[in-house]
Amino acid sequence: MIALPSLESFGSTATPVDGPKNFVVIGSYLGLHQNAFYPKTIGKNYEMPDTLKPLAEHQHEFTVFSGLDHRAANGHAAWSNFLCGNSPKTYSLDQMVADKIGQKSRFASIQLTAGSGEANKPMCFTRQGVPLPMIQRPSVFYKQLFVSKEDRRRTEYVLRSGKSALDSVVKDAKRLQQSLPQGDRDKLDEYFESLRAVEKRMDRQLETINEVVPEPDYKLPSYDPITPNLQIESETIMYDLMALALESGSTRVLSLFLDGLGQVFSIDGRALGSGYHGLSHHGNDPAMIRDLVAIESAHTHCLSGFLSQLKEKKNAQDKSLLDDTVVLMGTGMGDASRHSNRNLPTLVAGGGFSHEGHVAIDQKDKDSPLLGDLYITLQQKLGMEVESFSNATRNMNDLFS
Amino acid sequence: MRGLFLTGLLMGSVAAERMIPNHVLDVLSDYCIDCHDTAEKKGGLNLDLESVDWSKQESRILWEKVLKANEQGLMPPLKKDQPSEEERKALMTWLDESLLENTLIGGTLPRRLSRVEYRNTIRQLFGLPEFELPNGFPRDGKHHGFDNLGEGLVTSPALLEAYSKVAWAVADQLYPPEKALKIEAWTAGPEDMALSFSAAAVRDGALRLASRHEHIMRSCTWPSRIEVKTSGVYRITVHASTYKPKSKEPMILEVRAREVSASERSSVSQFRLLKEISINSAAQESVTFEAELFEGQTLLFRWLNAEMTHDGKELEKQMREWFRRDPRYLAAWQKSVFPFPGKTLRSRASVLRGLNGWNTLKNHLADPKLDMSHATMESERTKKLLVVFENGMTNVADAQCHYYFEHGPALEIHGLTMQGPLKVVDGPKDKRRDTLRLKMAGLEKGSLSDEDYARKMLVNFLPRAFRRPVDKKTVESFFVLAKTHWQEGRSFEEGMHLLIRNVLISPRFLYRALEREKLDQHMLATRLAYFLTQGPPDATLRDLANRKRLGDSWVLKREAERLMPTKWNQPMVQSFTRQWLGTGLLSEIMPDPKLNFTPYYVEMARDEIEYSFAEILRENRPMTDFIDPDFSYMSGMFARNVYRVEVGKKGKPGSKADRKLRRVKLERGGRVGGLLGQSGIMMATANGVDTQPVLRGVWVLENILGSAPPPPPKNVPALTPDTQGTTNPREMLAAHTMEPSCASCHRRIDPVGIVLENFDPVGRWRVNWPKGAGIINASGTLPDGTSLENVVDLKRWLVENVNQFSECVSAKLMTYATGRVPNHTEMKEIKEIVKANHAKGNGFRDLVLALIESETFRTK
Repeated sequence: MIALPSLESFGSTATPVDGPKNFVVIGSYLGLHQNAFYPKTIGKNYEMPDTLKPLAEHQHEFTVFSGLDHRAANGHAAWSNFLCGNSPKTYSLDQMVADKIGQKSRFASIQLTAGSGEANKPMCFTRQGVPLPMIQRPSVFYKQLFVSKEDRRRTEYVLRSGKSALDSVVKDAKRLQQSLPQGDRDKLDEYFESLRAVEKRMDRQLETINEVVPEPDYKLPSYDPITPNLQIESETIMYDLMALALESGSTRVLSLFLDGLGQVFSIDGRALGSGYHGLSHHGNDPAMIRDLVAIESAHTHCLSGFLSQLKEKKNAQDKSLLDDTVVLMGTGMGDASRHSNRNLPTLVAGGGFSHEGHVAIDQKDKDSPLLGDLYITLQQKLGMEVESFSNATRNMNDLFS
Repeated sequence: MRGLFLTGLLMGSVAAERMIPNHVLDVLSDYCIDCHDTAEKKGGLNLDLESVDWSKQESRILWEKVLKANEQGLMPPLKKDQPSEEERKALMTWLDESLLENTLIGGTLPRRLSRVEYRNTIRQLFGLPEFELPNGFPRDGKHHGFDNLGEGLVTSPALLEAYSKVAWAVADQLYPPEKALKIEAWTAGPEDMALSFSAAAVRDGALRLASRHEHIMRSCTWPSRIEVKTSGVYRITVHASTYKPKSKEPMILEVRAREVSASERSSVSQFRLLKEISINSAAQESVTFEAELFEGQTLLFRWLNAEMTHDGKELEKQMREWFRRDPRYLAAWQKSVFPFPGKTLRSRASVLRGLNGWNTLKNHLADPKLDMSHATMESERTKKLLVVFENGMTNVADAQCHYYFEHGPALEIHGLTMQGPLKVVDGPKDKRRDTLRLKMAGLEKGSLSDEDYARKMLVNFLPRAFRRPVDKKTVESFFVLAKTHWQEGRSFEEGMHLLIRNVLISPRFLYRALEREKLDQHMLATRLAYFLTQGPPDATLRDLANRKRLGDSWVLKREAERLMPTKWNQPMVQSFTRQWLGTGLLSEIMPDPKLNFTPYYVEMARDEIEYSFAEILRENRPMTDFIDPDFSYMSGMFARNVYRVEVGKKGKPGSKADRKLRRVKLERGGRVGGLLGQSGIMMATANGVDTQPVLRGVWVLENILGSAPPPPPKNVPALTPDTQGTTNPREMLAAHTMEPSCASCHRRIDPVGIVLENFDPVGRWRVNWPKGAGIINASGTLPDGTSLENVVDLKRWLVENVNQFSECVSAKLMTYATGRVPNHTEMKEIKEIVKANHAKGNGFRDLVLALIESETFRTK
């Protein structure tokens, strides 16, 4: 592992805080097959269900939750309830976190996707409900993090001429704004605020150009694995870069969307029986479920590699990056075979939590907690003062802290 | 009418604070402020007031809400004391009059271009008809169902960054940066080739292709780890062989150029053909050729003359032949598709996917006890089985494909190498550059100096880009940018590049029109053009606006008629109907495969709605034709399999003629035809797996009757269907809404939702609830006492009360056109227009034209 000089390096904050300070979320579009994801027993020493087997070495660093959801509508169209709660396509959890704790780092948050092909299914939404685009090419993500020497001059030109362009646009737009009625001016302020945000980001990037961030000796492939059949490859690279991004303090909030289309995977040299989406409609056919679980286990295998990397990276106080990072893996669809959005498989790793194995929530109990209650707990752990999330107003601190 | 609005309402601010009259205060205190007082403020509403400041938007919104709740009888809740009819009327009259007096027409917030408008505007402005937004360009939020409302069109940093990226990309097309040349070499083996659905499989170390289909995901493979960075000539060597060919005829391997980022649902024909290779031998042959590939492309391979096809009609023929020849194969297929043949043959084809399906089939083939007793061409099972193939059930074809992967004939690819560029070529983008520059600048550079050319370009280009005349000061402010850039030692091209980028992130370009009180000529031209074409004003409109002619009512009408869409596939028809009716969702829904609603049906369902809408608009048909028309558009196959009716025979079942969309005549007064019950709408209001009467009911109230109920309380879970089938949706709903507090909305929602239960989640007509939950009882009673037996009764009621529907559509049209939800006063104007139009024959086209002439349309 190479050491990276950092802007606001992990562990180098002036006032040390006990709680974690990074948030990573991974969302699986086609759900996670419940029977292979939920342990049969509750509490700590459960037998690893198939999808979790790749995570066995981290068993004491994560908790699985069953029986949680947002009571949101069913169907693919409501998938974004995952991070948005009861009302899909509104302010998402990761952006709430980014708005609170991401502001000081180079990128307030970064959104990534693996296996998306042409598709465009947003997971993260700003406060105003604007869906955020996701980076699909590892090379683009890499370039955001580490500007190479050859690219530096060009990037600098792009940024500087971009900035001077903004200046003149602002001048012209201000002139225009003066002639408008008050309500319109307020609306146009959105534009100015956005401009300022873009400008600030350019400034931060310009500063880092001069600070000379060396490239890590990480080797990207010569191509970008962007077609859906290369999803697992893309996922692996994205996780590697995500670990580097957190370590270098480039950002504190990362999201990774795992799409699902008709791609046929070969896993361990065996071509699966059908495309990913086809398998998700397994109709309880055992062979189909076996193949679906093979894909989902490939996802958890990638996640396991990521958790290992976070565990290895330690700061001066010997605290691991994993303890400093709340990792949430979940989905907006509880059962893709039925398009049901009840009972969403959820996993939380790291974050300095005392991990409880399998926490099973009985949905038949009218007062049972919602997934939003867990999200409140996660936010509080990240040092945010929040009391509600979507339709949830409690927390799960007494079950999980 | 118009005079009144002009004098009374457009004269600026209106007197503010007004006392609430005593007789209204009495009603409020007797029935409302128990809950809606300062302390309890139920639902966030405080009505414990003595006066109202009507100049404040919040108070207008608050009291409009109160009026709506009374109109719909939502308040007070049923368990509380109810006001007498007179008391309610007193309150409503006062509210109606006060709101009318105090609500001004207008109020659209500045609107940036929506995603589609932005794309269309760039296409038109630069003459780039195929321009598409990049992957990940932010989506617009929907507000009141539409993506082009002032409130919903938020500008965010992410969006602004996306705008500047697009601006760079467009500028790159006109003035590209110089590129360094890098020679690359690639090698790709079978394991580097993409497998998608059943298009290809790796067997014995070779990649095998076996089938034909128009979609690449069912016929092609490609090396997904190759992406060309420089447009140029490349040397390509392909190693291929035949696998168990049936004849001497060579296998033709097509090589095409595929954009790496293209969708897997793309058609083969959209990719440029590079080479056709004849493969003649079972031993590996290597073929080397040179071809032009452009930036962002990889190769695409297809076996042109494969035997196996995914086309249902043709496949059915092949399988029929096969089964005749090979009864054992037939029996195995029967066992796979109908594993549990009871009284009715239930198909399990939905789980027979790809290799899994093939393995199932193989197991049956190998079974010595395979049931052969139905393996004749005459048996019922054979007929039903062939229908499964014929319907284009992709799963069974995907499984059948694996026969060929295993036994041939198949075409084998063993690998390829590629290197280059041997020389750099102009991609299509390079070739078009001169035309693009001429279009933008309006003149050739010729011998003009850089400065003269840039200035002249701006004079021509800025008014088009900003959709209004541009003063000298503005031209100069842009010119200075380029000039400064040149003085800093930058090239001519870089200066021009900078200018284009700057124009494209200016709010003058990004915002539709920054409008003052009354729309001026250019703003009116802009509003009209985006409303009817989703694009910027064309040259004719710009010219009329420059000559100040658009204010003349007859000119405006003529222009509206000129731009009015006439065809189903014009942007306004598609964009408006998809947003109004929610059918934009259809591509996202992915119906449960069990419903066998293939992409063909989804497309038909959407086409039916759009063709019908276009005809009603084009032919000025009466508004009642939206509800109970004597025509529709569908194929014979669609009518039979979805609506369960015959619409005149054209060709044999499953033939091309049978599958083709056509205009069909219907009897008025029947269940088929009209928005209520159209498959596409029924599908959009379900979730692909089961029906949800509440969603459908809310949908009808909101989009047909124009009286949307307030949103449900947040703590109520969505109904999850009972998969055991012990309770039917009607019973579940009744239990769900027993609470008296739910009843006031649900007595309006449920009857119009339940009455549509005869349509399954894809809008297929049904008589029974699924899972043996019994015969569907769709009856109910509307709040006005009308009893409904089924959807026909609801249609009859709507035809009798068609103005309520017309008002709803008009409000939706105006929302879409003006970018704001019509307020109380605007609704009054709309209602007048609907009434007047009804008296004149109630034509839809006339209605749209009258709406365009309204104050509501012509005011900011």
